Amino acid sequence: MRKLILLFVLTIGMWAGQFDKVKITPELSYIYVYHKGKAVKVHRIQDTKHKLTGEYAKQYRPGQDIQPIKMHKDIQTIAEVELLHFMKTKGNNKTGIMVDLRPKNAYQKESIPSAVNIPASTKDDQVKLEKILKVLGAKKLEDGSFDTSKVMQVAFYCNGLWCDKAPSFIKTFLELGYPAEKMLYYRGGFQMWKILGFTTVTNQ
Amino acid sequence: MRNFYITTFLISTLLANANVVEIVEGMPYIKVEADGKTYKIERTQNEDAYLINTFALTSRPSPPFFIEPFSVNNEVETYGELEVLDFLAKKKGLFIDARLENWYVKSAIPTAVNIPFKLFLSESSEREQILKDLGGAYNKDGSWNFSSAKTILLYCNGAWCGQSPTAIKALLDIGYPAKKMKYYRGGMQAWQLLGLTTIVPKELK
Repeated sequence: MRKLILLFVLTIGMWAGQFDKVKITPELSYIYVYHKGKAVKVHRIQDTKHKLTGEYAKQYRPGQDIQPIKMHKDIQTIAEVELLHFMKTKGNNKTGIMVDLRPKNAYQKESIPSAVNIPASTKDDQVKLEKILKVLGAKKLEDGSFDTSKVMQVAFYCNGLWCDKAPSFIKTFLELGYPAEKMLYYRGGFQMWKILGFTTVTNQ
Repeated sequence: MRNFYITTFLISTLLANANVVEIVEGMPYIKVEADGKTYKIERTQNEDAYLINTFALTSRPSPPFFIEPFSVNNEVETYGELEVLDFLAKKKGLFIDARLENWYVKSAIPTAVNIPFKLFLSESSEREQILKDLGGAYNKDGSWNFSSAKTILLYCNGAWCGQSPTAIKALLDIGYPAKKMKYYRGGMQAWQLLGLTTIVPKELK
């Protein structure tokens, strides 16, 4: 009898899952991505009474300038729908990668699924930067410059609207010759991701 | 010695009036005028300020609430907060709160005029007058001519709000120039999350 009840509950649960009441767009309720080798369902919190609390609900942000909508004329700014499309296509077929520029401890606590962590402070470390460029598909030429014709597409984010880490890191990449059309700027960042109730993962 | 006291007093007064949290460095606030009133728009200076009202809700039921794309249309520019503030400071056009009145009366961005999105739809009996107020006129053949129309900036509740995108799409359909429309997608939610000034329009009446 217990097994029957369990089966019943599970069946209803699975059936109900097909009909999320909090969707992303009319056509999209969730996507699957890979985070550290595991499949993760990315969707939105289904509890319609849920409120964002904690540090990402904080409004007082001294010394944190509001960032412009465009950080550079050739860099595309994206929002959640475009980021999810990137994750589902480029991210899943490994032609693209999402980079979380926040400090290591913030990333360990919580991040967007499928994002890797490159703390923004890395931009001052030439050796690490070169390693990262190589991982992304750049080739170092004899004259010391980089051939970036076959690099991956990268979507960058940091804390959000008041965070200058993503804009400044993208500028560093531009100076290194990383093509503008291979970079995306998710300006809403972790704060907008959280306030829209999207799935996060921990990286302990 | 007396000068010292006066100087100290002046400096402390200045400090008391200075904003610790600036919009961007060197811009502590902006002042905008509307209907003979001056509004100061700044970010919260309260160290304990958290977003706790209904705009902290993460998951509104869909339909009707879906997440909007970054752009309504390739030609309609999407604005962030700095672009909104620049639009207001330089008086670049009309700032429209496109939400239904029941949302608007609770809280809004200072100087915004409430024109609910439904009034822009083809079935609205008020649309003709609104389009004329925005500078639209009829051509001889009865089609609309928007060559003298105002630049308008529209917003609603935020990323999950379809009201201002719906208004913009309806205006595009009738021929309102895409270049004369701007979309503040962050809306009330992003505005408040940044601790920017809001007003309660109901109390103005």
